[in-house]
Amino acid sequence: MTNREEGESLYLTAEVLEKLLVAVATRQDRDAFGSLFGHFGPRIKTFFRRGGMSPEMAEELVQETMLRVWRKASHYDPGRAAVSTWIFTIARNLRIDFNRRQRDPSLLPSDPVDVPPSIEDELLAAERDENVRLALAKLSPEQQAIIRLSYYIEKSQTEIASELGIPLGTVKSRIRLAMNRLRAVLDEDQ
Amino acid sequence: MTITHHPTDETLMRYAAGTIGAGPAIVVGAHVSACPHCAEAVRTFEALGGAILEQTEPTALSADALAKTLARIDAEGKREASGDNHSQPIVIDGVRLPDTLKGCEIRRWRWIGPGIHMSRVGVPHDPEANLILLKVGPGRALPDHGHVGTELTYIVSGSYTDALGQFTPGDIADVDEHVEHQPIVDRDGECICLAAVEGKMRFNSLIGRMLQPIFGI
Repeated sequence: MTNREEGESLYLTAEVLEKLLVAVATRQDRDAFGSLFGHFGPRIKTFFRRGGMSPEMAEELVQETMLRVWRKASHYDPGRAAVSTWIFTIARNLRIDFNRRQRDPSLLPSDPVDVPPSIEDELLAAERDENVRLALAKLSPEQQAIIRLSYYIEKSQTEIASELGIPLGTVKSRIRLAMNRLRAVLDEDQ
Repeated sequence: MTITHHPTDETLMRYAAGTIGAGPAIVVGAHVSACPHCAEAVRTFEALGGAILEQTEPTALSADALAKTLARIDAEGKREASGDNHSQPIVIDGVRLPDTLKGCEIRRWRWIGPGIHMSRVGVPHDPEANLILLKVGPGRALPDHGHVGTELTYIVSGSYTDALGQFTPGDIADVDEHVEHQPIVDRDGECICLAAVEGKMRFNSLIGRMLQPIFGI
């Protein structure tokens, strides 16, 4: 990454993040873990907060996410996914687990859940990451916003419409256009 | 298994994002396990999640967040996360159900009309999930209904045909509320499918109205 803002020293490239995670996996390197924590912790907190979680709970789940990063670091395979993608899936699974506990308070925290199956990769992880970044960047701001919302909140299109104060038809067409553009960009790179 | 009907990209994205709801996640997961094409799409949407997380602006953590986490690491030592639980496959009427139903409560079939049986699936910790198994005899129509939200139907065994084409095992029908469809089970055997609805179902026929109390709507 070039042209980064003065003073924004915490921005780390995908290559650096990968080295840090490998250092955690192979040497239980605490400094490397601290750098990963400094990079991802505050972003994961925003990710949880956008889904409506309280600041205290979000903070708690950030710690839980990073604890799992520490524990499972040796399972990380750089050929399969970028570090950000791998950590996203951990945070996502913890949020699913948290939402279930909200509905059923007697449930104890567990190792979650619903991890999509691993089948041989058709694309190299790096190539896929590059593709999705390009695809996301080519969407309009409104389209990007609605895609982000789909990642942050478990809501139907009807609920998203009332949340944004726009008609359901507008939500539907925005999502449809965003998905079509994403698909077009992703397909042209294959 | 020849798969011809897939979920929409939006459904796959919300599945990968973890924002689709417990019932629909079980139905979509069944298809994704059987369909390499959609499994690849899910990985792409997970990568999109990684990109979105990367671009999410940071919110300051409390000053001692890292120290607390390191203290928890020290307290528990280096422990591996527990492995997958390899439980037995779930079988009903000699038909193997998708593994994504593991942990769910599979109840007995209830007769709800000529040639039609239903079992409402108990989804752990989500009593409001509208997830059902349907078993419909050859040549019979699935209960006639429209729905308020999206409906996802995964074909476990047998086949049916409606205006969208023929649906065979592994296929998924991903239809929104504008689709008034009338699937008819093909004549060569009964059809078992797994269906989740987002939002409430509304039934048009007499049998459909009989279903309403079972759904608790």
